[in-house]
Amino acid sequence: MDAILLPIYIPIATALLVLFVPKKVRGVREAVVLAGTLANLIVAVSLFKSDLSYSIPWAGFGAFEFNLRLYHYSAFTIGAAAAFGFLISLYTCVFALNKSYSKYFYVYFLASLSFLNGAALSSNLLAVLFFWEALLMTQFGMIALGGKSAFKTATKAFIIVGLSDLCMMIGMAIYGHIAGTFNIGTNAISLAGFGGLAFTFLIIGAIAKSGSMPFHSWIPDAAIDAPLPFMAIFPGALEKILGIYFLARISLDMFKLDLNSWASYMLMTIGAITIIFAVMMALVQKDYKKLLSYHAISQIGYMVLGIGTLVPVGIIGGIFHMINNAMYKSCLFLTGGAVERGAGTTNLEKLGGIGKRMPVTFICFIVTALSISGVPPFNGFFSKELVYDGALERGRIFYLAAVIGSFFTAASFLKLGHAAFLGKLDKRNDKVREAPAAMLVPMVIIAGACILFGVYNALPIKFLIQPILGPGRLEGHDYSGFPANTMLVIISVVVLIGAVLNHIYGVKKTGKGISAVDHIHYAPVLGWIYSRAEKGYFDPYNIGYSAIDLLSVAAAWTDKAIDWVYNSFIVTVTDQASAAIRGMHNGSYKLYILWSLGAAALIVIFLIRAI
Amino acid sequence: MPSLMILIPLFGIIALNLIFAGSVKMRRWAFVFALALFVLQIAVAVFYHPAFRNNSLERIDSFFRMAFFIDHLTFIMFICIGLVSIASLFVARYTMPDESGRFKFTNLLILASLGMSGIVMVKDIFSLYVFMEITAVASFLLIAYPKTIESLEGSFKYLILSSVATVLMLSSIGLLLLVSGSTSFTEIAAGIDGSRGSAFVLLAIGLFICGLFIKGGLVPFHGWLPDAYMAAPAPVSILLAGIVTKAAGIYTMIRIVTTLFPYNQAVNSVIMLIGTISIFVGAIAAIGQDNFKRMLAYSSISQVGYIILGLGAGTGLGIAGAVFHLFNHSVFKSLLFVNSAVVEKETGTCSMNEMGGISQKMPVTGTTSVIAFLSTCGMPPLSGFWSKLIIVVALWQAGHHVYSALAVIASVITLAYFLSMQRRVFFGKLKAGLENIKDADRGVLGVSIILAAVIVGVGVFFPFVYTTLISPVKEILIR
Repeated sequence: MDAILLPIYIPIATALLVLFVPKKVRGVREAVVLAGTLANLIVAVSLFKSDLSYSIPWAGFGAFEFNLRLYHYSAFTIGAAAAFGFLISLYTCVFALNKSYSKYFYVYFLASLSFLNGAALSSNLLAVLFFWEALLMTQFGMIALGGKSAFKTATKAFIIVGLSDLCMMIGMAIYGHIAGTFNIGTNAISLAGFGGLAFTFLIIGAIAKSGSMPFHSWIPDAAIDAPLPFMAIFPGALEKILGIYFLARISLDMFKLDLNSWASYMLMTIGAITIIFAVMMALVQKDYKKLLSYHAISQIGYMVLGIGTLVPVGIIGGIFHMINNAMYKSCLFLTGGAVERGAGTTNLEKLGGIGKRMPVTFICFIVTALSISGVPPFNGFFSKELVYDGALERGRIFYLAAVIGSFFTAASFLKLGHAAFLGKLDKRNDKVREAPAAMLVPMVIIAGACILFGVYNALPIKFLIQPILGPGRLEGHDYSGFPANTMLVIISVVVLIGAVLNHIYGVKKTGKGISAVDHIHYAPVLGWIYSRAEKGYFDPYNIGYSAIDLLSVAAAWTDKAIDWVYNSFIVTVTDQASAAIRGMHNGSYKLYILWSLGAAALIVIFLIRAI
Repeated sequence: MPSLMILIPLFGIIALNLIFAGSVKMRRWAFVFALALFVLQIAVAVFYHPAFRNNSLERIDSFFRMAFFIDHLTFIMFICIGLVSIASLFVARYTMPDESGRFKFTNLLILASLGMSGIVMVKDIFSLYVFMEITAVASFLLIAYPKTIESLEGSFKYLILSSVATVLMLSSIGLLLLVSGSTSFTEIAAGIDGSRGSAFVLLAIGLFICGLFIKGGLVPFHGWLPDAYMAAPAPVSILLAGIVTKAAGIYTMIRIVTTLFPYNQAVNSVIMLIGTISIFVGAIAAIGQDNFKRMLAYSSISQVGYIILGLGAGTGLGIAGAVFHLFNHSVFKSLLFVNSAVVEKETGTCSMNEMGGISQKMPVTGTTSVIAFLSTCGMPPLSGFWSKLIIVVALWQAGHHVYSALAVIASVITLAYFLSMQRRVFFGKLKAGLENIKDADRGVLGVSIILAAVIVGVGVFFPFVYTTLISPVKEILIR
């Protein structure tokens, strides 16, 4: 068997195995899951640096081929996914030990890993589509495991992602038509004419998978309903890895993009809007997990913005930010899970002061919160600086949006940390204990990696990311080390100091950590917008739903017309045709002979006339 | 050595009558004998036994005044013939209680299959005609076997229309003999090539094709077919629908068109037109039928239309699709006729309005019927989907976009009449009076399950089947 197939086979085989493991023996299932994800990790790491391809032509006609290719970028992607997959399965094995959903969660989770590896390895759009849609199903399954109310959220996610996948499918069809092949990277097309449409549709699929605005609104709902490990691994890490991977492949390998093309501005605008609006929503959340989920949306903005700049520094920043974000965001969700397990709630009103009780969790939180806020020398700082650099090169407005986003990110994490871990310990939380070691290990490893990737950022940038662009695009630059533009660093630091001052001001005014941003929340115009946003007025899904009322009336009429065509018109016509044909078969062999001879005569005449 | 494929059954029939005909007890062994014969035929074909290589046994071959040859197409046809004959044999054991009657049936069945084996191996046009007549005569007798008014009428109609076909083909053979001075395929092909555009040759071609249209039961040459299929006893219907009309009409057409005049556009357009008419008339007529077997007969007409539509595309892919669909059709239509035989035997009627809900009593028959008709409609991933897909793709690539679209549309009609059949016969509430029916005996159920497994297996392992079985068929056009 080809080695390239292993990352697809191992997780799915483990998933099937989990289905058949008897539940009576405790721990066997968890052992199988861990072994499977570990094997996947080992294979993914050992495949790094190799260049393999695999191809099955489907029946030999048309452009339908099943092609896989493992090269630097896809190996990097599946390696990152495998690392997170292993760490989070370690965490989940403890977190979900006695939960009723654990068995099917493992099955869906492992299947998702397999499909994700498949999607990342595919070098043919149809194969991508196959794995991509399979992920949609496992995503639905994992959210729906959360219980009754989760089913509604799962449906919401399914509709949003499913519709955007449909767009992607159309985009693929147009692309295949123009390029003459469904293979990625063999024939880059321009944006002219329908190429632009193909680009837009493909982009919709990629950014919707990663959870960018306006395809984000299921994520905060899922944060409340879905099992927590799902949030840590999917919206937190894997969906971003895959979405951004595909976004980069579209922009780099499939289209010839100019710096000044509208496509670049479209991407940067989507990125900037996502940063600002999602972080504004995150700022005012009063629930640990929900706050994180809005950041999961907001951070994707930096990546889309970075790749949308189309300049090397921005692209490297975007991809670097993707891997950084996957690290600190999944770790943050894991701390959320530890808090939930310890205190029984993630509502910030009921938390407070548990930092002393959960020191390791708190330290991990601090490290990752500093990373996401972009404090030097943590990893988030370096990737953000690269994105800033790229954004500034393309337009001040995009840079401004990114910096404002940073300000609010820092402010909201100051609030979150203050409200959850500092302050007075509530009596209800008197018995809170630190999480068990199996949950802490993944958190500590990831937090440690956040520091490593920051302090020694040449490792990820030089070794992992710059080879993706290749020497041709880099033109001899090296983006590792301390940011080149000192001015930007100074501005960033000033912004961070501003966020701290803002926090101190807010706490002084109200006296509580949780209300540190109330002066922004209830500011004149913002308060009005916030109250509507919280009611879901701006959720594209809800807007779509109300528009559907109108549509449904029109659809009902169309439906009636179509019903008439199918139920009356076609049936009548067919019945009469059938009766007519039956009438002609009256059983007389003389008639049958006449038919045959008549037709034979006509055929012979036709053949002779056709010379 | 291919001549053994004829000689063994031939001496088998003689042996059967000399040894086994004596006592009733011995006659029971006729079933086993025939079964062994057909299994041997499939096994030899599948495992590429030396008997299948084209080396000759001079002494035995000198017995024949004709030459045989084997290629990939023949190989597929051998499998079809063997499979359908086995199905027919098992159903005969199940539906014909009379020992001595069944003995006669078995003899005729071996004779018919011998004729078909000959058809698919010969390489001159007159021997082809001879084997066709052997098959046809055996079929006349088989249809008339119950000696009821209907069966005699069905047999008579087949006889009359076949005679018309015989006249057409014999005249054509005469004309071709005049042109080329020989009856062998290669020399006729050379002769036709030499006198391109002569009205004389075109007349011969037209007459021969029309004869084959009658044999294959294509609209408007199909008048005999529904009556014959309906009137014939169940095992004979399986044989006729599954293989006889396909070997005598369709296989021959594929062979003749590809070897004698492969690049005649006018012939191809006639074939495509007749194919499309057959698809639609057959499907629409099937919708309105009440008799289960008659509905299946019209469905056969419609499916045969698909086969020759693929042939008419004139490309290698189209011919591969046609042969593939021929194979698939043999399997799923035999299965449907097996199901209908079980239903007829148990309920005592063929009228679909008097049935209902019998799937509860016949789980295997009900389920295999679903698989068979879904495959007929071209539902992925069953076998019928792939063959129809190849035909549609081949038509599209050859530039016949309208035919390609029509072929897809007709699938919907196919689905419509089969869904209606399934609902009326197998699903729903059990009709009063049918409480005591049961499923068929083990042999027939085994056959149903094997045929259903072939449908699913060919569909699921399509890439393998395509490369090993179907794609090499394209070579017959190149040669």
